[in-house]
Parts: sequence; structure tokens; C-alpha cells
Amino acid sequence: MTLLSTTALTKRYGASITALDELTFELEPGIVGLVGSNGAGKSTLLKILLGLLEPTSGSASVFDLDVATRGIEIRELVGYMPEHDCLPPDMSATDVVSHLAQISGLPRSAARERTAEVLRHVGLYEERYRAIGGYSTGMKQRVKLAQALVHDPRLLFLDEPTNGLDPAGRDEMLELIRRTGTEFGIAVVVASHLLGEIERVCDHLVAIEGGKLLRNAPLRAFTERTGTLAVEVEDGRDRLAEGLAGRGLRVASDGTAILVDLVDETPFDVVRDTVAELGLALVRMEQRRHRLEDLFRDGPDAAPAPLTAGAPAAGGARDRAPLEPGR
Amino acid sequence: MTARPPITRAGSIYDLGYRRYEGPRLGRGHAVRSLIGHSLRSTYGIGRGGRSKVAPFVFGGMAVLPAVVIVGALTIASRFGAERAIEDMQVISFGNYFSAVNAIIALFCAAQAPELFGRDQRHGVLPLYFARALRRTDYAVGRLVGFWLGVLVLLMTPMVILFLGKVLLSMDIAGAFGANLPNVPPVVAQALVISTLYGGLAMAVSAYTLRRAYATAGIIALFVLPGLVTGIVIGIGSSGIGTALTLIAPNTVIDGTNALFFGRELGAEYFFVDVPLQLFLVSTIVEVAVVVALIVRRFARITT
Repeated sequence: MTLLSTTALTKRYGASITALDELTFELEPGIVGLVGSNGAGKSTLLKILLGLLEPTSGSASVFDLDVATRGIEIRELVGYMPEHDCLPPDMSATDVVSHLAQISGLPRSAARERTAEVLRHVGLYEERYRAIGGYSTGMKQRVKLAQALVHDPRLLFLDEPTNGLDPAGRDEMLELIRRTGTEFGIAVVVASHLLGEIERVCDHLVAIEGGKLLRNAPLRAFTERTGTLAVEVEDGRDRLAEGLAGRGLRVASDGTAILVDLVDETPFDVVRDTVAELGLALVRMEQRRHRLEDLFRDGPDAAPAPLTAGAPAAGGARDRAPLEPGR
Repeated sequence: MTARPPITRAGSIYDLGYRRYEGPRLGRGHAVRSLIGHSLRSTYGIGRGGRSKVAPFVFGGMAVLPAVVIVGALTIASRFGAERAIEDMQVISFGNYFSAVNAIIALFCAAQAPELFGRDQRHGVLPLYFARALRRTDYAVGRLVGFWLGVLVLLMTPMVILFLGKVLLSMDIAGAFGANLPNVPPVVAQALVISTLYGGLAMAVSAYTLRRAYATAGIIALFVLPGLVTGIVIGIGSSGIGTALTLIAPNTVIDGTNALFFGRELGAEYFFVDVPLQLFLVSTIVEVAVVVALIVRRFARITT
């Protein structure tokens, strides 16, 4: 069974803003991370899949149900945790969640029972009878998750679920998401701009940027690749970079270190020889695991940006600019 | 910058076992009924904080108070054997009760309609509804019907009190029942007209106005301004436009249907109106249809 699939899905707001651009991908059930910087089109994608937004063109389906024609059936199976505040402040968590459970079709008594269970599950106890207006952000996030889970969906869409949480709350939320996906058999799609979090809970990753698909692969494929060699020298970083590039290595920079794409063992020798030749003081040579950030630094080819790449990257996730000569 | 307050934790997430829900799942009908019930309770602030209850219960009390006073007076009078005399005075009867509490009903609508549509939009609650197995029209209609029922309850409560008071305090209960029974159809009809018209208009304004204060002001303006304009137009001397406005303005439409249902003449202030009273009923139906269409359209198009 296919969890999600989209074909040439496009969403434009007006003439100038393209939120999704010919997005085509397919997903199997699991815990899926949907990563991209702010404005990459994550929320737009989720909203289209829920039928909250209409795509400009293209098609999408959830559980093989077409979003355009069978929205109600899809929404019966899906729980949605929006990114922004969505709770009426003058109602208690119990009242909100059990009301929404009834809207999802649960009979009144079952709705109450499920509400109590789910709120306990997300870690809200006595405070669930108080008005939500007095809750902390962390508690609100829990209530938002609870209302998405209360009708026992087959699929959860979580939009930035760790927004505004302190580190401990973040850990708990991620753990809860992981268990929801692995132990309860609910498929989860987590949209986030925080790659570190996605890395911790997801087994599959969809990366989008500027409304375009960057990658769609199991998480292993991102992190288990050979990786990168970080080289730091005292002075003459630019000379070293040029020298390495001259020997046919692909080189990039992350500020203090030169990053060499590690395809096999040879770069170690090449770096050693080059450093020796140029007479530089080698401070550090470190093999780095391929990190998710590289996705955004490298683009779809996952090749380190060449040294001479001049154009600054678009999007906030590209926090490591390519090395520019003379910097 | 002051020091950060200590992190207070809301409690840890323990897994006490997530269980699947295997019970029945009722469909959209159940969802809409739940929404109607929730809207009706929210109209009176039930299920919400104490402050939300102040306005509906103050206005509700004011709307019911005359009926209670009348029945109370009847009770006392009957002990002196004077209930006939009181009843003959006809201070407030079924026929003019609504015009007496008209302004209070309007205020109730202006205060409470924004509590439903405006609140859902202000706090971003709509995505939670629209992400469920519900059509947008279901949401709009469910909220509207819930509010309409709330206004209807407000209108019918004093009438029921009045009816029971008149019947039960009578020496001849069966006879009084028979005597008051003919009042029931016009009372119900008029209550339906007022609740759909005022309730619908108030909900339409609040569907398009997020800010509560603006919505309330807008609703009051909608109820009051057309009447004022009518007065000005009549003063200038155009009875044609005056009649047209009378057929549009909600409060004059309600006066018109009141006259129609209770078999009276329009009051002296409508000297210029020379149309069949049935037109006021037609006007009600048209206005309610427009209001429903506007509300449905609003929620069909709103982006969440």
C-alpha cells in the first residue's frame, strides 16, 4: 500500500509565489521526515494532502485515495497537528479534545474515554481540566498532538511538533512520535526544519526546497554514506583548497575547515601530500559522518559545492556558505 | 533582561499504553449534530469560563424577566381573586412581548454570534475542524444552526413561562388552555422569524469579521441603521423608498411579520407602507437565504 503519492503537484499563490513546483514522489508507511527550510513548502504539502488547500495543478493521493475527490475518506484516516496555535483559550483540554473526537465521529461516551486516555498518553494530567489559555507552550503542543491522535488515525501529519518546546519537552515529544510510529503502527509524517530531530525519529526522509523535491530516500541512505573529511590548517587554507582541487578532489568549506568529499581512501593520502608540499601546519583531520545538512549544502547531486561556487545559497537551511577566496 | 524563570515541566510523557479505538465511528451526521450541540452550549458560554457566561445570561435574564414578572403578578393577583383584572390590562401579551424584548434579543445576537465564528477564526481552530471528516459547509451550517437554536431558546423561554402561568393559574385550567392555544402558532412562527433573521444576520457579520468588537458593532449597526435611514427617507417624503427599506430592515421586517402572524394592523409609524403583509415573510425568507449563502461561501473560500 502506498502511503502518499503526488504527481507533478504544483501550488502557486498568485503569479509570483510558487510553494510547490511539480513535486512528484511516493512514500511507503513508516515515520517519514519532511524536511526543508522555512518556506520550502512543507506546510503547503500537508494542507494539500488534507484537502485544506487546493493544488494549482497536479494530483496527490493518501492511502491510494485521491485528494481531490475523496477528501472526507482521507480525513477520517488522518490526524493533523497544525504548526500554529489552534486551540480556543477559554476551553479546557478535555473539552476541546473530546469535542473534536465527536466531530471525528466518536460517540460521546467513547470520545470522553479516548480523550482521557490520549491526554494521559501525551502527559497531561490534572491540568487538563483547566482553561488552555493558561497553558505553557509545551502543554499546548501536547494538547495539539492529543487532538490529532484521539480518533485513532492511521496516519499522523505533524507540522513542526517541537516548536517552542524546551530541550526536555523536545526529547519527550520526539520519543512520543517515535513510539507512535513504531509501537502503535500509525504512519507519521513529521514536517520540520530541524534536521537533527528528523534524524532521531524518522526512518525515511523527504527533503524539499523551494517547492522542489531534493531527495526521497530511507534515512540510512543519507547518513551511511562514506562521508566527508574535514581538514583544518593554521594558515593558507585557500592555498590548500586550491591545491586539493588541483589534484582532482571536490572541495568545500564550512568556515574553519576544508571539507573533502570522501569517496574512497585516496583523499587521506592526497591531503597529506598536499599539506606537506605546501608546507602548511595541519591542525586537524577528521572524518565526518555525512550529515543531513549536506543535503541543503550540496543540492540534489549530494556533491560538495565546488570551491568557486559564487552564488549564495537560497534558503535559511544553507547555513554554511561555500568558501569564497580571500575570506 | 531578567533571569529566566525556572523551567516548569508540564509532566513527563509516560506511556501507559496507547490503545487502538475499535468502537463505532459515526458519520458526518453525528459530527454535525455534535457541532450544533457545541455551538448551542457555546452561545450561552457553557463549557467555557465564567466570563463567557456573563453576557448571555444577563441578556437572557432581561429577555425572560418580563414574563416572570407578569406571571408573578398574576400569581399574587389570583390570591386576591383579581387575576381577571390583571389579564384584562394586557400590559404585555403574546402579541407584543417580542417587540418589547426586541432590542435585548438584538444585543444578545450582537454579543454572542462573534463568540462562535469569530473565535474559531481568531484562534485558528478552523484547521482542526476542516482536517476532520467534515465538509466546510457542514461546519458553517452546524455553527449557524446551533446559534439559531440558542436564540430560539431565548425567545421561547419567556413564552413558555407566560403560557404556563396563564394556564396553570387559571381556575379553569382546561378552559384557559383552550383560550391560549390559538396563540401558539403565531408565537412559534414569530420566534422562528426573529431567530433566523437576527441570528442569521449576526452570524453572517461575525463570519466575515474576526475582531470581536468590530463584529459586535457591525451587527448592532446592521440592526439599527436601516431603521434610522428609513426614518430619514420618510421625513424627506419618499414613501416608495421608505416602503422598500421597511421591507429590508430587519427590525421593521419583524414588526411586519408580527402584524401578519397576530392578525393586526401595522403600527401608526408605518403609515406609508401599503403592501400586503405577506411580503414581510417573503423578505425574511430571502434575507435568510442570502445570509446562509454568504456564510457558506465564506467558509468554502477561507484559507486555513
